[in-house]
Amino acid sequence: MVAASSVASTADQRTLCRHCADECGAGAVVSATGSFCCRGCESVFTILTSLGLDAFYALDESAGVSQRHASGFDSARFAILDDPAVRSRLITFDDGRLTRVTFSIPTIHCASCVWLLEQLWRFEPGVVRAEVDLLRRVLHVEFRPGLTTLRRVAEAIASLGYEPAITAEEGRVSQPPAVRRLYLQLGVAGFAFGNIMLFSIPRYANGGPLEGGFQRLFDVLNVLLAIPVLLFSASDYFRIAWRAVRTRVMALEVPLALGLAVLFGRSIVDITTSRSEGFMDSFAGLVFFLLIGRLFQQKAFDRIAFDRTFRSFLPLSVQAEREGGPTVVPIEQLRCGDRIRVRPREVVPADATLLDEAGIVDYAFITGEQVPVAVEGGETVRAGGRVVGRALRLRVQREVSHSQLASLWTNQVFATPKARWLTDVGARFAGWFTFGAIALAAAGALAWWPDAAMGANVATAVLIIACPCALSLAAPVTLGTAMGLLGTRGLYLKHPAVALDLSRVDTVAFDKTGTLTGSNEDEAVEPHGLTAGALRLVQWLAAESVHPTSRAIAAGIGSFVRTGAELHGSSPMLPPHITDVREDVGRGITGIVDGCRVAIGTASFVAAQSDRRVLGPADVTFAAAGTEWGWIRVSPAARAGIERATRLLAAAHELCLISGDHDGERPRWQRLFGRRMHFRQTPDGKLSFIRTAQARGRRVLMVGDGLNDAGALAAADVGMAVTDGTACMTPACDAVISGQRLADLPAFLAYARRAKHVVIACFAVSLIYNAAGLTLALAGALTPLAAAILMPVSSLTVVGLSAGAMRWSATRMLPV
Amino acid sequence: MSVIVLLIVAGGAVAAGFLAAFVWAVRSGQFDDTCTPAIRMLLEDGGRRLKPGEESQREIEIEVEMSAEPRRCL
Repeated sequence: MVAASSVASTADQRTLCRHCADECGAGAVVSATGSFCCRGCESVFTILTSLGLDAFYALDESAGVSQRHASGFDSARFAILDDPAVRSRLITFDDGRLTRVTFSIPTIHCASCVWLLEQLWRFEPGVVRAEVDLLRRVLHVEFRPGLTTLRRVAEAIASLGYEPAITAEEGRVSQPPAVRRLYLQLGVAGFAFGNIMLFSIPRYANGGPLEGGFQRLFDVLNVLLAIPVLLFSASDYFRIAWRAVRTRVMALEVPLALGLAVLFGRSIVDITTSRSEGFMDSFAGLVFFLLIGRLFQQKAFDRIAFDRTFRSFLPLSVQAEREGGPTVVPIEQLRCGDRIRVRPREVVPADATLLDEAGIVDYAFITGEQVPVAVEGGETVRAGGRVVGRALRLRVQREVSHSQLASLWTNQVFATPKARWLTDVGARFAGWFTFGAIALAAAGALAWWPDAAMGANVATAVLIIACPCALSLAAPVTLGTAMGLLGTRGLYLKHPAVALDLSRVDTVAFDKTGTLTGSNEDEAVEPHGLTAGALRLVQWLAAESVHPTSRAIAAGIGSFVRTGAELHGSSPMLPPHITDVREDVGRGITGIVDGCRVAIGTASFVAAQSDRRVLGPADVTFAAAGTEWGWIRVSPAARAGIERATRLLAAAHELCLISGDHDGERPRWQRLFGRRMHFRQTPDGKLSFIRTAQARGRRVLMVGDGLNDAGALAAADVGMAVTDGTACMTPACDAVISGQRLADLPAFLAYARRAKHVVIACFAVSLIYNAAGLTLALAGALTPLAAAILMPVSSLTVVGLSAGAMRWSATRMLPV
Repeated sequence: MSVIVLLIVAGGAVAAGFLAAFVWAVRSGQFDDTCTPAIRMLLEDGGRRLKPGEESQREIEIEVEMSAEPRRCL
């Protein structure tokens, strides 16, 4: 009763939670310090203010992480961290006196998070240091094992509202970043480039060889400086080129490596024969610029861990009932016949039989069904289902690795890496580019026949100038910049090349549940056949239940009844009197509200409770109040802006909807998708739908969220996973888009097309430079000075043009 | 002219010193995260332990001076 009245009163104004700045909807908590959207937020706020850490809110008003979805503070949750095998996965260093661990915390999102988490020593004595890496969303903690334990540290972090993601996937967070080697290579190349320049400029300024043995000295120093560049900084290019030659898959690295090798070799020959001062400055500069291009590409990585399997969706451990009481067992050790207990909001780790009489399981993520399913005792609960309402006792039927969920991952589509258009087109381009350069070099040499020295000179000059340095910078810098800028706007690409694939899609397939519709929080409620008075009774009773559908009805009817009441000028509401509430899990709830018998639930339940036949669509909730009956359809609201976005997309793309849900919502989406709607699709069905479209020659962008989309995401030309909030579970995909940004998809696609045009423009510019250089080379007039000017200038033009154009376009085309 | 040789040696030594410092910095992980330190330096060590019985108030002098829009690099 209290709950009902507080729901009604807080729904009136749009109050924002003091902790997380979310709107306080149903279940809001009002206390002396302010309004909160849930108890969790209130308790975090209390902890922070009691420690004088109010500055947290001063940095960013929406700094707090909403606790509405938190699994509730439960000390057994981290019991698994006492298990040595699990501990060793997280611990990166331990000498008995100091332990260093790395937690992955997906909810880290702003400066306040950094600040608060680095104050961890205030909350947990024994913590020596806490350091956040905002980009990778990890927290490094050092603590004294004598004073605290890993489990207590994890609990302290969780109590602040940052749930560490401890999943069954192994050793992902503690690897040192691959970018270190690239920085070292860049440092060495930069060092050599600068010093070689110092030793080369005197000769250029002098206009001829230096006297007094200095030329020899400088030449020798240049060679010494260039050797580490060849062996260390440029080594990756040679390795990739060698692999390309061996596997006969062409890559742009082949002409690049050829050019670098000729550049170095010709310089050595020139220096030893004293013909010229060599091209060592061009060589070091080239490698330096190439590595800068790689850094652009690398910078955009490491933000989101993409390569996840079904395991990262499962919990690390589960509470099992074995001989000697309940214990926490890692899910790998679950055996057939084990009895387990899964708490509300937790995920069932293995296919299991329900031991309780009844329960509710939400399969939205693995099948796309949006309405939680009622399960009766003895029925099977599939792995991946999320328990709703109250804890369930289950008996494991199959081990984790044999569950139906796991079998989703055995599909061939996950084993084969996706063909990227850039690699494809790059390989073909590199093929004829290499061939053209060699042919031109041979022709140049023949043209000077019989002057062999001049012929060799021209041939090597052609190969040097044809080295596609600027060309190979164009794509990484453009796409890397685009990827970084898209990332700041909520679209994360797995690889820069995905931007090019995005620019080429002509078909967009959407999943429904969780993709077009938001999370279960905002639901549209449409009642049929009930008057405002009866609806109010239904609402009051629904507020008594914890079932998600009831809560949605309670919240949704609130606004509906109020507008109705205002229209009819009724008197304001009085608090109701509710007695005899009885909830039948998975079927419905009954009670007497203000003397009137009310029943809400499935058709058969309501029929039995109210002694009358009720008829209606299959996917709705029935309700009877007194003499009236009717039904209520609860459907998640479409995300804001989706309609406009789909209309914009439809101009240039074929749109379709593939959903695992039943077709009860067909009329609702008719306007946007017309006849291209496919309901009741299994994961395999979705996959083959994509394959069929591709066989028709379409290039498909699949936008989905659940595990049931994983196959389709993997098969599509671009698979884009939608994630809500920050707890991102991203199945096999090429891009992750934040749910609030889905409406900006048309702008993102337009930006991707712009990126493609910029790459083409940069290709054109660098080819012009190459052509200019080639005329010099063929005339036998390519001096070291000309090369030293031409090569950096062309590289810098391309880097400036591509990065500048993408930044400028981002401010013009992308929403902030 | 031998002074030039001296200068080259000295200059090379200084440059090599910087290269060594750079290598050390990369190896010790200073380039692993180039984003968070930029934020961290703007934050004060705000917050203090309250004595038992002391009222907690939201209005405690907030020492952190930052623009309204916090810096994000995600």
